[in-house]
Amino acid sequence: AGSLLLLLVSDLLLYLFDRAVVLSHYIHNLSSEMFSEFDKRYTHGRGFITKAINSCHTSSLATPEDKEQAQQINQKDFLSLIVSILRSWNEPLYHLVTEVRGMQEAPETILSKAVEIEEQTKRLLEGMELIVSQVHPETKENEIYPVWSGLPSLQMADEESRLSAYYNLLHCLRRDSHKIDNYLKLLKCRIIHNNNC
Amino acid sequence: MDLWQLLLTLALAGSSDAFSGSEDSSKEPKFTKCRSPERETFSCHWTDEVHHGTKNLGPIQLFYTRRNTQEWTQEWKECPDYVSAGENSCYFNSSFTSIWIPYCIKLTSNGDTVDEKCFSVDEIVQPDPPIALNWTLLNVSLTGIHADIQVRWEAPRNADIQKGWMVLEYELQYKEVNETKWKMMDPILSTSVPVYSLKVDKEYEVRVRSKQRNSGNYGEFSEVLYVTLPQMSQFTCEEDFYFPWLLIIIFGIFGLTVMLFVFLFSKQQRIKMLILPPVPVPKIKGIDPDLLKEGKLEEVNTILAIHDSYKPEFHSDDSWVEFIELDIDEPDEKTEGSDTDRLLSSDHEKSHSNLGVKDGDSGRTSCCEPDILETDFNANDIHEGTSEVAQPQRLKGEADLLCLDQKNQNNSPYHDACPATQQPSVIQAEKNKPQPLPTEGAESTHQAAHIQLSNPSSLANIDFYAQVSDITPAGSVVLSPGQKNKAGMSQYDMHPEMVSLCQENFLMDNAYFCEADAKKCIPVAPHIKVESHIQPSFNQEDIYITTESLTTAAGRPGTEEHVPGSEMPVPDYTSIHIVQSPQGLILNATALPLPDKEFLSSCGYVSTDQLNKIMP
Repeated sequence: AGSLLLLLVSDLLLYLFDRAVVLSHYIHNLSSEMFSEFDKRYTHGRGFITKAINSCHTSSLATPEDKEQAQQINQKDFLSLIVSILRSWNEPLYHLVTEVRGMQEAPETILSKAVEIEEQTKRLLEGMELIVSQVHPETKENEIYPVWSGLPSLQMADEESRLSAYYNLLHCLRRDSHKIDNYLKLLKCRIIHNNNC
Repeated sequence: MDLWQLLLTLALAGSSDAFSGSEDSSKEPKFTKCRSPERETFSCHWTDEVHHGTKNLGPIQLFYTRRNTQEWTQEWKECPDYVSAGENSCYFNSSFTSIWIPYCIKLTSNGDTVDEKCFSVDEIVQPDPPIALNWTLLNVSLTGIHADIQVRWEAPRNADIQKGWMVLEYELQYKEVNETKWKMMDPILSTSVPVYSLKVDKEYEVRVRSKQRNSGNYGEFSEVLYVTLPQMSQFTCEEDFYFPWLLIIIFGIFGLTVMLFVFLFSKQQRIKMLILPPVPVPKIKGIDPDLLKEGKLEEVNTILAIHDSYKPEFHSDDSWVEFIELDIDEPDEKTEGSDTDRLLSSDHEKSHSNLGVKDGDSGRTSCCEPDILETDFNANDIHEGTSEVAQPQRLKGEADLLCLDQKNQNNSPYHDACPATQQPSVIQAEKNKPQPLPTEGAESTHQAAHIQLSNPSSLANIDFYAQVSDITPAGSVVLSPGQKNKAGMSQYDMHPEMVSLCQENFLMDNAYFCEADAKKCIPVAPHIKVESHIQPSFNQEDIYITTESLTTAAGRPGTEEHVPGSEMPVPDYTSIHIVQSPQGLILNATALPLPDKEFLSSCGYVSTDQLNKIMP
């Protein structure tokens, strides 16, 4: 029944998925660039990588970590998962922009990217919610998502700690944007092209 | 604490190089490269160090750890596969590979960590080289020197493109065989790309490499593809023989157009006439159309004298001469009879055709009288009966012209008499040829018209027309001989109301006059009566004046009535009865035999010498 429904709205879904993939790809590019710039400017060669591999606030989500797991997860859960990740990043991105803007000698490139990422993530979330309503109309609105609590660490007085916090945040952002991009490409090939991209 | 241990190990590993002072410059095994070709497995390689010297390290081991949860797990696991990836390598299959989970590996030798590395799998993704490179010819340039080709390949087999697990981008490089530097193209996402402007006579090498989009590094290059563009001699030949037909046609047309315009607008009349000869307009040779328009008849007449259809009898000094040109188509018709015969004959068709006027040039008309012109043309189309009417109308028109002077001089009452006075004079001049009527006293040979309309057959030889040869200053008409007269018809035109003229006026006005003129003094009423009766022999009476009619001013009607029945011999000439004044003569209608037949009297004009001859 679900596949029949998909056939009817295939054109709309195709458009929505294409647009979602474009956005996710764009967001991941921006995140990667932002992280590279930050690392290059502030934390490179200072061993933050080891420290930074702490955790991301979205780690609690049972996200597929390899291709097999991605193939095993069902379509509905997969979509819900993506939406949850996107929702969980609303607040961190907001605070990131605020804090970077308030920094002394605020790096313009990083700030502009952060602003853009926040904007595009909101759009992607809207698109995903639309896709979910098309593919799984019966899905109840699931507001549960991981909460980010790293704001105090961004505002720490210690520069090292603060830089570490930013590093971690940007590293997680890069990873999660890559996850979302990957998941959407998988879903697009699965739903639209029937695993034959 | 674990973290500190790790850091210490790393510091020791890092410093071990600096502290190694052994004779053997043995190097620690190091990770050379960790690579994941398809994002599902990865392998790590390290250098193989053979420790020479005293220090003999144990087998090298690799331990790895990954963070599953938020907490570091210090649980180092040993490499699951030391073989698959070759020597000095550790292979992690898909079950050990997680994408977004960071890994840390360490290399130990005899329990001592020699190297350590942390990464996430995406960072070490390096796809395999593309496979199945081939090329096809797109097109060859017109010159045959350059060509375009399309290079195609396939993604590496282990990269899962279909499920969307990997998204690859490619980079193509090419160069001539003997060159050293490769030319690079921009990264592309598709598996085929055109390469432009390769030289036909050179051999090229092409290679492609792939990379995961947004992360990782470029993989190895594919196998080199050799491109040898065939020397297509056929193509070159065809290009050589490409004849610019279109250009030739365009330029040819352009050149012709230019030449044509040059000729058209040039002053060279000769060339112009050669290319565009003037279309001949219908006109008479030698006659200027403007001349005809201006109306200088004298000049036109002289010119027309050259014309074939020109009649020798044409008197150029007569402005009001008029006659119908009869078109005699067959020689039979010529001998048949005169125009009178044709006019009067019952053969309508014959007369109809005979009255056909020739085309415009020969149908000469008198000067600018539209009435005359119209009647002339009308005569062609209408029946002979009506044509007969037309002619007297024409004659009347003449008389109108002739009387122009008189009109000016006379008062209106005499207006009507004018044409009437003239007509009889004209009529009288006409003599009938076959009629053996004696004539006398005529200066010129005139023919009297004795027309008997009652007998059409006898009128066969009667000429209807008289040509006016001269006009006297007073306005009288002098007729020329040998012309067809229309006198017979003109009778109808005589005004019914003839105003009775006083003799005085009668004599004063005319230089000469006919008996008929004198008759005009007779009261009108009897004339009217006469005319109504006399239609058949109407002419007879008018032509000939009896002495009685002359002398008696009244009582004419009675005699005149008798006249039609009488068959008194009608003289051709008249004797002068009264010589009033040098201005005029009254002729006496006496039947005197004419000594000379050729002596014809015109309409009453007799000179003094002639009178002397005539008078016995």
